Amino acid sequence: MSTETAGGSAPTSPSSSINLESVRAIAKKDFKDSFRSWVFWGLSIFFFTLLVVLTGLLSYFDEVFFGVSAAEAGVTTELLVVAASFVTRLVIPLIALVLGWKAISGERESGSIKVLLSLPHSRKDVILGKLIGRSAVLSVSLIVGFVFAAVVVAALIGSFDVVDYVGLLAMSILYGIAYTSLAVSISSLTRSTTIAGAALFGVFLLFYVVWNAIIEAIDLLMAFDYISGVPYTVETDQGTIELERMPDWAYFIESIDPGYAYNNALSVATSAAESELGVAIEEIMFDGSVPFFLQDWFSFVVLLAWIVVPLAIALYRFDRVDL
Amino acid sequence: MPALTVDNLTKSYGQTLALSELSFEVEEGEVFGFLGPNGAGKSTTINVVLDFIRPTAGQVEVLGMNAQTHSRDIRARTGVLPEGVETYDRLTAREHLEFAIESKGSMDDPETLLERVGLLDAIDRKAGGYSKGMSQRLMLAMALVGEPDLLILDEPSTGLDPNGAREMREIVREENDRGATVFFSSHVMEQVEAVCDRVGILRDGEMVAVDSVEGLRDSVSEGETLRVTVDRIDDDALQAVRSLPDVSNAAVDGENPPQLVVQVEGSKTAVLGELEERGIEIEDFSTTEASLDEVFQTYTASREVQAQ
Repeated sequence: MSTETAGGSAPTSPSSSINLESVRAIAKKDFKDSFRSWVFWGLSIFFFTLLVVLTGLLSYFDEVFFGVSAAEAGVTTELLVVAASFVTRLVIPLIALVLGWKAISGERESGSIKVLLSLPHSRKDVILGKLIGRSAVLSVSLIVGFVFAAVVVAALIGSFDVVDYVGLLAMSILYGIAYTSLAVSISSLTRSTTIAGAALFGVFLLFYVVWNAIIEAIDLLMAFDYISGVPYTVETDQGTIELERMPDWAYFIESIDPGYAYNNALSVATSAAESELGVAIEEIMFDGSVPFFLQDWFSFVVLLAWIVVPLAIALYRFDRVDL
Repeated sequence: MPALTVDNLTKSYGQTLALSELSFEVEEGEVFGFLGPNGAGKSTTINVVLDFIRPTAGQVEVLGMNAQTHSRDIRARTGVLPEGVETYDRLTAREHLEFAIESKGSMDDPETLLERVGLLDAIDRKAGGYSKGMSQRLMLAMALVGEPDLLILDEPSTGLDPNGAREMREIVREENDRGATVFFSSHVMEQVEAVCDRVGILRDGEMVAVDSVEGLRDSVSEGETLRVTVDRIDDDALQAVRSLPDVSNAAVDGENPPQLVVQVEGSKTAVLGELEERGIEIEDFSTTEASLDEVFQTYTASREVQAQ
C-alpha cells in the first residue's frame, strides 16, 4: 500500500501502510468492547429466536393445514431458508448499519480516536481493524444464534439439512459484512455521528425504498413508451405471444442491489434455488443467452464489490483528512 | 539532534489562522513546557506533531523523522497523553494497558504501570465508572508504555487534584531521569515552572517567548508590573505603550474601569506620560514586583482591546 500514488499532500510512506499486527490489535479491542455491551448477546438471542419461531410457525401451519406433523410432512430446511431469508434480507442490513454507524465517526467525535492513533497504528489499520471487529460481532452472534437454534430446529424438522442451514448462515455473514463495510466506510467520512447517521439512513432508504422504486419506475416508463423495452416471443398452445421485457441495463441495476444478490447467492449455496420455471422464463426472455449479471455467480461479485469498493474509498480518503 | 523541530509551521482553517509560522526546537533530554491560554494553538501544534492534522505550510520533525511520512515510526517511540480524551467505557484499566502494550509490542506489566500512576486498586474496574482524574491517570499510564524516548503530555493536569498534579510532575521527572524528552503543554504557569527546563509561551498561534525558567524569572526580577486604572483605552494607545523602549509587554485587564498591566524595566513615568498625552485619564496606578505568573499573563492576554 505504501506504493499508492497520493493526491495532494497525503503521505506516501510507511505511515499509511497496513500492519496486520495493528489491525489484529484494534479488531480485538473493538470486539471486546462490543462483546461487553448487550449488543452481542442481544443479537445472538435475536437470531436464535428468529430461527426457532420460524421453524415453529412452519410446523404449526403444516399441522393445521395438512394434519400431519412437520417431521412427516414437507417442512424442510429449504423452506426454513426461504422463510428466514425474507426476514434476514431486511434485518441484517439494519443491524450492520447500526453496528458500523459510530465505529469511526463516534471515535472522532469524542476524540478517543487519538488514543488509537497515539499508538503506532496507521489510519488504514484503524478502518480495517474496526471493520473486522464489527463484522466479527455480527458474524459470531449469527453463528451463536444459528448453532443453538440448530438443536431445536433439527428436533422439529424431520429432514434437517446441515448444508442448507450452513449455507444460509454463510451467506448471511457475507451479506452482513457487505453492509458493515458500507457502514464503517461511511462512518469514516465524517467527524459527526449525526451526519454519519443521516448518511446511513440514506443508504437504508436507498436499498429498501428507492431501489425498488427505480425498477417500478422503469416498468412504468416502459408502459408509457418513454423507454423502449426489448421484445421477446413465447410459444404457447394458442400460438406465439409477443411480450416485452425491461432493457438489459435495468436488470443490471436490479442485480447490484445487495439484497437481490443475497437472495441469488442463497440459491447457489442452498437447495432453495430459483424455481425451474423462473430459470426457464429468463432463458426465454434473453433468447437463451442470459447476461452475466443475471447469473448466480455474479451475486457473489456484487456482494464482494459492496465490501471492497466502499472500503477502498474510505481507506483512500481517511488518510487525507484532519481528524 | 533536537527531539522536536517545528519549522515555520502554519495551519489555517479557511480564514482562521490557528498557527502562524511557528518555529521552535525541543532539545533531546529536556523537559519543555509548552505554555499558552486555551485556544492559543497548543493542541493544534501537538496534532500536527502526531499527524492527526496536516499543516498548511511548514515542517515538523520528531526524533529526526518527518512527522507526516514517518508518523508510525515516531509514534512507536513516543508516549502520548492526548487532551481531554475519553477512555473506552466498557474496558478495564488492565485491558486498556494490554491494548497499548500489544500495540507497541512492549513487554510492560499493566500492574507496574498502574501502580506508578496510583490506579492499581481500580485495575479491573471498567473505565466507564472512573472520575476524570482516574481517566487521566489511566491515560498517563498508557503513555508510559514501552519506555518512550519522547513523552507528549497535552494538559496532563486536567482533572487532577493538587496531589495528583504533584504525582504527575514526579513521574515526569522520573521519565526525564530515565532519558526521555518530555513535551508538556499547559495553560497554568505554576504547573510547568516546577518541572520544566525551558518554557515556550504561545499566544494566538505565535511563540512570544522561549526561555529557561530561570531566564524568564530573571527577566521578571529586573522588571516591575505597573497597573494603571484608566477611564478608557484603545488599540492605538496600547500599541503606543507597547512600543515604548522600557516596556516589554502590556495588556488590558478588565473593562469597568479598564486596567492596563504593563511590564516595565525602567521608567514608569514614560508610560503614564504616553497615556496622558493621548488624553486618557489615569484614575489610579500601582507597581508590584512581577511574579512568573504575571509575566505569563501579560504575554498571553488577548491583544484585542475594546474601544470605548
